[in-house]
Amino acid sequence: MTRFIFVGGLGVIIAIFGIFFFILAEIIPLFRGASVESIGDLPSGQRGSILIGVDEWAEYPFLLDEEGHLSFHDLHGSRDVRREDVPLPEKATITSVSYLQELQLLALGLSNGQYLTGKVLYKPVFAADGSRTIDVDLEWDPAEQLGPEGSELIGIDVFVSDQRKTVAAIADGESDGHLIVRSLVRKRNPFGVSSFKLDNEEDLTDQLEGYPVEVLVGANAESLVVRCEQGSVQYFRWTGSKWDLRQRFYPFGRNSDSIASMNFIKGEVSLAFSSLSGDQVVFSLYRFPDSGERLYGQTKTFEPFPGGADIFARSMRNKAFFIANSERISLRYSTTADIRWEKEVHYPLRHLVVNGKFDRILALDDNGDLHLYSLSDPHPEAGFRAFFARIWYEGQDSPQFIWQSSGGSSDDFEPKLSLIPLIVGSLKGTFYALLFALPIALLAAIYTSQFLSPELKRVIKPGIEIMASLPSVVLGFLAALWLAPLIEDRIPSVILICIGVPATAVLFGYLWNLLPIRFRILIPKGWEFIVFLPVMIIVCYLGWHLGPLFEQVAFRLQDPSTGQTVADFRLWWESFAGSQFQQRNSLVVGFMMGFAVIPIIYTIADDALSAVPKALTSASLALGASRWQTTARIVLPSAAAGIFSAFMIGLGRAVGETMIVVMATGNTPIMDMDIFSGMRTLSANIAVELPEAPQDGTLYRTLFLGAFVLFVLTFTVNTVAEVLRHRLRERYKVVG
Amino acid sequence: MAKDPHSPQNNRPRGETLVWLSSAGLALGILMVVGLLSLIFVEGITVFWPKEVVQLTLKEDSAHKIGDSNTLAGTIVKRQQNIRRHVEEWQIFTGNKDAYGNMFKYIDADDVVEMTVPESIVVAERMEYGNSIFYPVAVVTGEDHRVEAGDDAFWSVFEQLLAEARDRRDRINDLERKDIGKINRKVNDLTIQMRHLDRLESEGEEPQTGRKAKIQEQLDSLQQRFKVLAAQARDLREAQHQDTLEYRLATGQVRSQPVGDLVDAYRPNRMDWLDKVGYFFKHLWAFLSERPREANTEGGIFPAIFGTFVMTVLMSAAVMPFGVVAAIYLREYARQGHFVRAVRIAVNNLAGVPSIVYGVFGLGFFVYFVGGTIDQLFFPDRLPTATFGTGGILWASLTLAIMTVPVVVVATEEALAAVPRGAREASLACGASKWQTIQRVVLPASAPGILTGLILAMARGAGEVAPLMIVGVVKLAPSLPIDGVFPYVHLERKFMHLGFHIYDLGFQSPDSEAARPMVFATTFLLILLVVVLNLGAILIRNHLRKKYATGSF
Repeated sequence: MTRFIFVGGLGVIIAIFGIFFFILAEIIPLFRGASVESIGDLPSGQRGSILIGVDEWAEYPFLLDEEGHLSFHDLHGSRDVRREDVPLPEKATITSVSYLQELQLLALGLSNGQYLTGKVLYKPVFAADGSRTIDVDLEWDPAEQLGPEGSELIGIDVFVSDQRKTVAAIADGESDGHLIVRSLVRKRNPFGVSSFKLDNEEDLTDQLEGYPVEVLVGANAESLVVRCEQGSVQYFRWTGSKWDLRQRFYPFGRNSDSIASMNFIKGEVSLAFSSLSGDQVVFSLYRFPDSGERLYGQTKTFEPFPGGADIFARSMRNKAFFIANSERISLRYSTTADIRWEKEVHYPLRHLVVNGKFDRILALDDNGDLHLYSLSDPHPEAGFRAFFARIWYEGQDSPQFIWQSSGGSSDDFEPKLSLIPLIVGSLKGTFYALLFALPIALLAAIYTSQFLSPELKRVIKPGIEIMASLPSVVLGFLAALWLAPLIEDRIPSVILICIGVPATAVLFGYLWNLLPIRFRILIPKGWEFIVFLPVMIIVCYLGWHLGPLFEQVAFRLQDPSTGQTVADFRLWWESFAGSQFQQRNSLVVGFMMGFAVIPIIYTIADDALSAVPKALTSASLALGASRWQTTARIVLPSAAAGIFSAFMIGLGRAVGETMIVVMATGNTPIMDMDIFSGMRTLSANIAVELPEAPQDGTLYRTLFLGAFVLFVLTFTVNTVAEVLRHRLRERYKVVG
Repeated sequence: MAKDPHSPQNNRPRGETLVWLSSAGLALGILMVVGLLSLIFVEGITVFWPKEVVQLTLKEDSAHKIGDSNTLAGTIVKRQQNIRRHVEEWQIFTGNKDAYGNMFKYIDADDVVEMTVPESIVVAERMEYGNSIFYPVAVVTGEDHRVEAGDDAFWSVFEQLLAEARDRRDRINDLERKDIGKINRKVNDLTIQMRHLDRLESEGEEPQTGRKAKIQEQLDSLQQRFKVLAAQARDLREAQHQDTLEYRLATGQVRSQPVGDLVDAYRPNRMDWLDKVGYFFKHLWAFLSERPREANTEGGIFPAIFGTFVMTVLMSAAVMPFGVVAAIYLREYARQGHFVRAVRIAVNNLAGVPSIVYGVFGLGFFVYFVGGTIDQLFFPDRLPTATFGTGGILWASLTLAIMTVPVVVVATEEALAAVPRGAREASLACGASKWQTIQRVVLPASAPGILTGLILAMARGAGEVAPLMIVGVVKLAPSLPIDGVFPYVHLERKFMHLGFHIYDLGFQSPDSEAARPMVFATTFLLILLVVVLNLGAILIRNHLRKKYATGSF
């Protein structure tokens, strides 16, 4: 039996601590980098390739050379190399290529000024036994003339959206280079879609500074970015009738021939630039505060990439991208400016591509050999910086702390996982809860332990402890559905009550003390609080009804819309504090959390104050001190450690409170400390988002991280409080 | 009596003002508790009391008319001052959501020209669209037999039809839930067996055509039986529509509705005090024993009560042995040193860890890890539908058990420590072993304290909602966790919970005004439960303190 108890007891204790280690195990993967392993090499037998492309599963990549020979290599099975030819016009070779992996679209610029688009459509074919092979269909559009006769297209890019197709090319003639943009539109109606018809064709060369080198078409086929030889980058936007030059900027300074590469990151809002000397930066579109226009600005600076990078590949799933040169590859993540993985390669690397499932990397070297790697990076958007540092997210005009874990309808959404707004929210809720609860609880505890008559104490103490048993869901529901609507229009009444109650208490005590003794003995010692029960109700009633009058007098302002003078606290607050008034705000939450926190602080403070040996109080009273002097100068300092520990335990409870916050705040992850705005705390965030988080995904683990932070915080606070209490108990064991 | 400032009667002790200030703090605390409990009590109890229905005639040009009519009838729910417009507003519950679009209406008190209390007005509870308030016109039974509202026999005929409709509804319920439900379950099981055989075949075993044929036979016969029962249910449902009630709303609109759609009807303005008390208890009983309707805003909360009860029992069964054993180990067996003190401090502090952290742990460990493994091992044919790999009453109970273990350990330890050393020493001196001493002397003596711990744990479990939201509570559970179907206790089922019901009603309701009475009633019930449990624990504890205060050897 003894052994059973031994094992059982130890087992329970281990189980309790297992929680800590389980949660820790769930969050560790968030802080790892990417792991890349080489799987194998395959000689393709094709040299001089200008492009490598791959299917979603990385089983059937293709290589393209400048003569238009396509070869498909089977990495999984044993099929022979399949060769196809691009239907190029007579004597034309490919001089530039652009591969849109998401759309499986290929755009080829030719040596005769024409361009050709086509699709490399991969499809899985399932055999009878359930095994899958990847097959491919090729579709080619007829070649179109874009550049003047005798020019070559040295740069080309295409983007196809639902209604527009924009082709931009750099035509290199004998003496000059032209940037030509052709836009096509198609109409979609309920019966189908028409074919593309020409909408506009423009030559934008005279708006460029320098000789155009590379062009990229942006999101929705309505923007263009052109890079020129002298280091300038031009940004054009389609206005509906023509292309408008919006901005010219120099990522690495003027007159430097130093831009090595320029590429869009998934979402087509951010551009990754790398320079020949190895610098690497990201520029994003955002609204500049002074001009109000949406232009490119530098948002991120990465660690330099030695030797400069001219090879680029990007993920189709998230904001990760690869940069490489012939000796080195680096996997970087745009949002956090983080290097996930970097390695030297021992072959002359020429082209790089990553598959749609983001688990395979294919590298092609100059000798025509294919190198296959497996990639595992499940949580690139996580990491210490992502959770705790200011990040400059896409579309924002400055680095900020934002929590917005999902949103929008497109896959381009950038998850914003900063825990700082949530921690600030937790601290804000705790602050307002303690602001309200601490005075009441401490005063009540002092009175109960020192002055209350013992017969009453037997009834009163359980009464306050009943408050502790109120489920927080009930408190939250009352806060949100009863209290918040009630005081929404009556804040001046609340202000009057908050001032009136303590003022009445002090005033009453003072006046009572002035009365002669034959009145003072009417209320025996230990029963003073009974008087306040009706008095407080009267004060609240008066405050409630005088509130509107107070509002008329004190909160007048000019209503901006009508120009009249109105008395409205909500409008007054918005002009006074600059922030909006929310119905479910910190005042409501603080008051209701008081219900949850007051009994805890009260019980522990009362225990601490009662533990002070009676001998000390008796001695003080015998020496002629009044009862308040005894309390204030003897009892309170002695029990200070206990009171502090009560405060800390109350703090721990307030930090962890979930249901009240879920129901009674707006659950908005904002970072101000206004009393009339909402908040989102760590605990409420977990309760709201965890049911929807996919298992083992980044959000799931991040919520575990939030739970871990909560756990560590409350555990530390409670342990400090316990140690203090223990010390206090030890101290008084000797005395008396 | 001279006004001698040094006389003791004129002695004013210093600092009395601050004593009064501190007493004000206590008064505030008491007011808060009492105020909150009274609010919940009043709002909760009045839900069941039948309220007077008034008919109001509004001014001709009132902005609050319904359609063209300036008459409306309903109960006055709330009177408040609108300080923006400086008028008194009344919120009227008019019912008849299908006719008016909304069940509540705000009117200005000044617009009321006349207010009467009509005797013949009827309030009816319905299966859909909430309550209805009307003047009955006639009831049409079967084909043509019409009984006008003016006839003396009208009300008894009406009540009889209502009773018949109730019976039929119960029979339909039995048919669909029990009989057809049994068939569905058997079909489900047979389909899983078929899938199991298919899976074995695909893994290379011999095809079991004989057994598969038998299963198919059984499936076919079950299908036949299902058709018969479904036809019976259909007939009963049609029968529900055979009697119609015609009625006139206060606005003058005449409508009709099958009696089968009505649950109950009463005439509030005709009821005397005894009738109202009777109706009160009937309504209260319906609340406690029926299932919810209309997205939880109507009907009863029996599944939530049952779910809370089952979960609390499971949780206590899990927590008690482990908590008590751990406390005995800590206090009696472990060597009292720094390590044990550290463990004790840690266990105490775990009581302060937010409940949501336990919920997170419960989801990650119990639901996904343990539950997922159980599914892989024992229920592979049901995948991808998770059996234990998703939230359910077992995981919820275990999660709450882990959350309340510290409470039980602390309470048990205090109880064990309170047993005087003299009693233990006496037992050992009489020759008992350590375990015998614990078993026969210490544990019985500390039983009340352990009981206190159990009660506190149960109260906490009944009230915590945050972790349950993640591990297995749902808005509306199709069946109870314990029912008459083998294996009788279904640990993998999701369940309803009183606390979560409050959250759901308040925040996930389509009509939060309509849900308001239900929320307050449910809150009242939950508070009653929790306060009674806690008071019990406190009383036991106080009684114990007295008992051991003097005992010292």
